[in-house]
Amino acid sequence: MKSWPDNLALHNESLFNAVLSTLDMVVFEREEDSAEFRLQGLPPDWWCMWVGPANGTVLDLGQCSPFLRDYLVGAHPIWGGQSGVTEKSGPWTEPDRQGGTMTLEATALSIGSKKLLLIERLGSGFEQMHAIVQRARDKMLAEDVTAKSHRKAETSLMGQLEASERTKDDALALLQHLRLAALVLDERGCITFASDRGLEMLGLVAKQVIGQVWEQALPFQRQDRSMIREVIDASSTDRTVGPLYIEGPHPSWVELEIHRDPRHLGRQIVVLSDRTELHTLRQALSEQASFHDLVGKSPTMLRTYQLVRDVAQVDTTVLIEGETGTGKELIARAIHFSSARKQKPFIATNCAGLTDSILTSQLFGHKRGSFTGAVNDQQGLFEAAEGGTLFLDEIGDIPPQVQTALLRVLQEKEITRLGEAKPRKVDVRVVAATHHNLSEDVVRGSFRADLLYRIRIARVQLSPLRERREDIPLLAQSFLGQICTATGKRIERLNPDALRLLMSHAWPGNVRELKSAIEFAVISCKAKEVLPIDLPPEIISAPVIPSSSVWIPLPNRDEKSRFLAALSDAKGNRTEAARRLGVSRATFYRRLVELDIDPR
Amino acid sequence: MMQKKICMLGGFAVGKTSLVRRFVSNVFSDHYRTTIGVTVEKKSVKVDDRDVTLVLWDLYGEDEFQRVRDSYLRGSAGYILVMDGTRKATLDTAIALQQTAAKAVGAVPFVSIINKADVRSEWEIDEGVIEQLREGGWTVLFGSAKLGQGVEELFVKLATQIVQTSPIPSDSL
Ligand SMILES: Nc1nc2c(ncn2[C@@H]2O[C@H](COP(=O)(O)OP(=O)(O)OP(=O)(O)O)[C@@H](O)[C@H]2O)c(=O)[nH]1
Ligand SMILES: [Mg+2]
Repeated sequence: MKSWPDNLALHNESLFNAVLSTLDMVVFEREEDSAEFRLQGLPPDWWCMWVGPANGTVLDLGQCSPFLRDYLVGAHPIWGGQSGVTEKSGPWTEPDRQGGTMTLEATALSIGSKKLLLIERLGSGFEQMHAIVQRARDKMLAEDVTAKSHRKAETSLMGQLEASERTKDDALALLQHLRLAALVLDERGCITFASDRGLEMLGLVAKQVIGQVWEQALPFQRQDRSMIREVIDASSTDRTVGPLYIEGPHPSWVELEIHRDPRHLGRQIVVLSDRTELHTLRQALSEQASFHDLVGKSPTMLRTYQLVRDVAQVDTTVLIEGETGTGKELIARAIHFSSARKQKPFIATNCAGLTDSILTSQLFGHKRGSFTGAVNDQQGLFEAAEGGTLFLDEIGDIPPQVQTALLRVLQEKEITRLGEAKPRKVDVRVVAATHHNLSEDVVRGSFRADLLYRIRIARVQLSPLRERREDIPLLAQSFLGQICTATGKRIERLNPDALRLLMSHAWPGNVRELKSAIEFAVISCKAKEVLPIDLPPEIISAPVIPSSSVWIPLPNRDEKSRFLAALSDAKGNRTEAARRLGVSRATFYRRLVELDIDPR
Repeated sequence: MMQKKICMLGGFAVGKTSLVRRFVSNVFSDHYRTTIGVTVEKKSVKVDDRDVTLVLWDLYGEDEFQRVRDSYLRGSAGYILVMDGTRKATLDTAIALQQTAAKAVGAVPFVSIINKADVRSEWEIDEGVIEQLREGGWTVLFGSAKLGQGVEELFVKLATQIVQTSPIPSDSL
């Protein structure tokens, strides 16, 4: 180990003092016995100013500073231990007596037998270190503030988002509460929103529509879809479509109001209104013009509808009279479907041209083996129509034996199957129809009078079409619509000239003939409207009567004068007169005889 | 006269120096000059009619640059843990320092203060956490060196606890 001189200061006092002054340091030696500190060499100015000038003085350093006192307590082990070991106090600050502060650091060390204490004033090195730490901490604080303001902005944005979500929820709740039916479509026509009421009206659930293209998701009919598409695409101000029919378990009629979303052009807000009730009311009104499948608003037809309604209220047998093609079966159906029996079967059969036994078996059924070919037990139409209505067309043509059997059924309300003895109870309403004058058949002896009275309890007489020409445009338009729907052709109307031809035709085949004429025209038609050329040749070729003198027979004129008028109009040509009256030549001749008209 | 060493502990810039200066000299500055090392200040308070001189060791703030040295804590009769209400991280630092102090000086009284109560709206330390600290046996005060709120109470409270736990007045240093 290196040996140190006993008195450092004495060796080279001036050098020692120069070192102390350069390092800004004061050095003490600790007195072994008193534990007091003796100043070594020249102390720097700051020391003198702090504790006063005291060269070589013995000091109680613990009195100078509480920090130093604590440090000195802790530094004992250093002085008691090995030579060369040092311990630094770390910096501390003291007032410098000039109103400022100074930062000091103490170091305890022992050199040989000497126990020394160095106190230095930290200078520029320390200030540099302080500046660095200060900058780092300032920076950390600034970053903290930035991060915080970001967090704040984020929180406030989240808050705003939440608030706007809430506003949206409120608006939605309001929408649902008002039961407003609405849909929102995006630019591509996909449904982005559907209110509960809207879904209800369309008979759908959200997952069937949200995100779907409206044309695929909404239950509109083909032609209605194209109408909606046109409105969406068009710039028109009238953006209302409908009422449109919606199929489903609860068929309904809705009207659509299509608005452009003012915030996003290209998006559409569709408001739906339920028009079902309105539609039903309108239909009830227009029932004046059509009833069940019957069409026409002529006074005769309106009277007929009323009659049908009245007859439907009671459960009696009905006789429908009218020329061929006047729609007798439609009337029978209308009676059935307006009556209390409408949930039960409606069965129609034509009695013309059937033999006695076939008709009997058909109406009442048979037992197996009751006649050749009766291989099974078979129920008849009366049984099949149980609870409902049996429509017997051309009742005037049934053979006498069957007339008798029928009379019994109507009286007893029971039938007996062919080959059986035991009668069966039936509850069937019979509606019969004929184009004959059954009274005359009775006179002639071909129809039982008692049966006639039985079936003619209620009576509906259908006028031939030529006697209700005002219904021709309505009927023609209605057939045109039906046929177009069925065939997929798009013909909108009848050209006025074509209609004039239809109006002047005699229609011997009545409504049925008119319907087939329209069917013919639809097939021929190449344009948006039916032209005269499209009509069947027998209608085109008939001499066109100037519209002022369109031959419209007066409904009240009696038959004889109608025949006479027709003959005179046809200048005595009977075939033409028959055509004009819309009857066959045979009927014409027969009626001439019956009405006692001399054709010459 | 009774003298008691009290250390001011806490993260940097929580307001240790500001609290001491408000308490000792009744001054405050918005300017931040970080403490490196220690500044020792003294102030006397009356506890139960007895004058007690508090020797306040304002230590540097603990962070990655400076760790508090055990030697500074030696001989403390109590300590004050300071937190900055506007910076949540200073709470964790305070908790860590409490453990350091307890190891160095044992179970001496301590009081904690959440400083900067004048900017309460910017506080990040919420009531729940404070409640947890209190349940853990901490005395948690709120105060503001800037406004002087709760400063006197802070030191008096700790002085009282120290006096009450020190048996005889002979332990004056
Ligand atoms: N608003 C407000 N600011 C304060 C308060 N106390 C201190 N400050 C500010 O906080 C910053 C730090 O204060 P100091 O007292 O230096 O903090 P310190 O704990 O001593 O910091 P270090 O010494 O670096 O550990 C300064 O800018 C002060 O002005 C207070 O109660 N309210
Ligand atoms: Mg400080």
